[in-house]
Amino acid sequence: MIEIEHLTRRFADLTAVDDVSFRVEDGLMTGFVGGNGAGKTTTMRLIMGLLATHGGTVSWNGTPITDAHRRTIGYMPEERGLYPKQKILDQLVYLGELAGMTRADAKASVTAHLERFGLADRAEERVEKLSLGNQQRVQIIAALMAAPAALILDEPFSGLDPNAVDSMADLLRDHVARGIPVLFSSHQLDLVERLCDNLVILSGGRVVASGTADALRSAGPHRHRLVLGADAGWLRGMPHLHVLDVDGATAVIEVVEGAPDGVLHDVLTQALARGEVHEFARIVPKLSEIYREVTA
Amino acid sequence: MTVQPAQAAQRPGDQRPGDPRTAPWLIVARREIIAKLTDRTFIVGTVLSLALISGFMGIQVYMTQRTQSFTVAVIAADHAMADKLAAQASSIDDKVKVTVREVPTADAAKSAVMSGAADVWLHHDGTPPTWVLTGREDVDTNLAQAATLVVRQAVTTANAQAAGTDIAAIERGATLQTALLVGDAEKQGFAKAMGFVLAMLFYMSSLAFGFIIAGSVVEEKASRLVEIIATRIPIRALLVGKVVGNTVMAMAQMAIYVGVGLAGLSATKYSALIPGISAGVGWFLAFYLVGFLLLACLWAVAGSLASRNEDLQQVSMPLTMSMVAVFFSAFLAKGTVLVWLSFVPPFSSVLMPIRLLQGTAARWEPWVALAILLAASAAVIVVAERLYRRALLQTQGRLSVRAAWSMAE
Repeated sequence: MIEIEHLTRRFADLTAVDDVSFRVEDGLMTGFVGGNGAGKTTTMRLIMGLLATHGGTVSWNGTPITDAHRRTIGYMPEERGLYPKQKILDQLVYLGELAGMTRADAKASVTAHLERFGLADRAEERVEKLSLGNQQRVQIIAALMAAPAALILDEPFSGLDPNAVDSMADLLRDHVARGIPVLFSSHQLDLVERLCDNLVILSGGRVVASGTADALRSAGPHRHRLVLGADAGWLRGMPHLHVLDVDGATAVIEVVEGAPDGVLHDVLTQALARGEVHEFARIVPKLSEIYREVTA
Repeated sequence: MTVQPAQAAQRPGDQRPGDPRTAPWLIVARREIIAKLTDRTFIVGTVLSLALISGFMGIQVYMTQRTQSFTVAVIAADHAMADKLAAQASSIDDKVKVTVREVPTADAAKSAVMSGAADVWLHHDGTPPTWVLTGREDVDTNLAQAATLVVRQAVTTANAQAAGTDIAAIERGATLQTALLVGDAEKQGFAKAMGFVLAMLFYMSSLAFGFIIAGSVVEEKASRLVEIIATRIPIRALLVGKVVGNTVMAMAQMAIYVGVGLAGLSATKYSALIPGISAGVGWFLAFYLVGFLLLACLWAVAGSLASRNEDLQQVSMPLTMSMVAVFFSAFLAKGTVLVWLSFVPPFSSVLMPIRLLQGTAARWEPWVALAILLAASAAVIVVAERLYRRALLQTQGRLSVRAAWSMAE
């Protein structure tokens, strides 16, 4: 488990990462969400020791993280690049060796990964000959090939077509299934919602929300939609009830904070007494709505 | 298909003695070397330089070995003198070889020269009779010189005998020897030329490899590969590997150039002078090795200060200028300035070997200069590592040395 506590980093007058705390738990996929300049990349660089911290700590299974720990983390930086003139196999083996693999292990792992991505026949080609999407696959192999003890991936899905996104997602799930913590950043909220067990939303260098998608959803106001057989205007007269919208027989309601229990029960009883009830349902907000709300 | 990730990889951090895995800096050095060996530009450049050196040497060898053969036409009466010329020509001038061709009459000799069957006609006639060498349009100077000597010796010997004495008695005490206070001019000139050649090699090689090193640093920086590398191995290992790998290549290339040059030289008329310069050339290689280490670190720093290849010209300007200064110092530095500069890095890399070639350096001087160069290299490596580490992860435009030095990591 990687635990980030009160992490802070300034660049001149700008506080890029401001008292950020969250956890990346073992065997779970954690999505790192936020707009441009929210501090995602800086946070990841701080975790990887590429930048010095101005405050706060990063711990690895309860002890302060060291370079030896970091060497076991598969890291993929935001902007991509490899040696354009070197053969794919050669440079992946090189990066594997730098991660502490033997040459033979590195070669076997690279070959298996290239096969999985359908790139086995291109192992001897130069990287510059590959399409951008394939270059990105090669780069993710660099992060995954040494059986990393954790993964920290900056925008691993950007620029991939839907099929590639699926195979990348499968690959990440395999590693999560090994029980390692995985943190990745993304702009694509639907993707994060689909893949992640946990979410951390960053805005202006601060964590504005974090937790499971369900927890985030239920942290918002509880709203219900009511569709009746006749006009719903009478709801406005109910005590402890905030009626957000009435449109003929349809209404959106929210129980006022501090109201006694049983308000919704009373509403439903009244509605049934007055006639037909077609729908009475909790409105589950989309993650994008929550995101807009917390980063506004 | 699922990928079984390799079994819990061990890490460089937990390397133990006897571990088959390679040290990180060696892995980096190996990649640098392989990258050069598979780089077409590098290979073509090396082969072209070798071709230039061998071509130049080839011309020298050809000039040395070229001999001219001359056919000399004579009538029977003059045959004896022509035989003397044929016998002695090569010992007078080793490029001149003479064959004698006897013809029946003077007219036959003339027509032989006219037709090209003979190059010259050697004859003894006129009043009073003198020896004449008749050519068609010209007479080769080397042949004429050899013939003049042979004729003079033969005639004076005959005259001396006629006067009842011998040539040795006449010539006794009439010789003039020369003595030199400073040294052999040919040897001096040769040493000077060798010095310039070495200065040129140093300049070209350090500049070419300098840009190669800086370029490879910028490549890693611009592509953010350095972020991946920096999380896997210490930045120091990256710097050391890069510097060592390129130094090995530069040194190998230089040794090949010098080796081919010396091999070629041994086939020319300068071969006798090679033992006199071999010590100087050996010192040059030692100074080149240490000097290149120092420069390689500086070039790596220059690369780390740039963010893109376009910035490279500008950040490397001070280095390029100092290379030019070293180059010109080899031609311009004289006297006391030369002596002092031959101890100052990086000038010492070129100037001390030049002084050794000239034979003006005392036995202890190269050792002191080399020690100073080594100390300077060690200091530069320490400073370079700090600058390199700090500048490497900065990607916003060009950095000044001062900014990189005082920057937070």
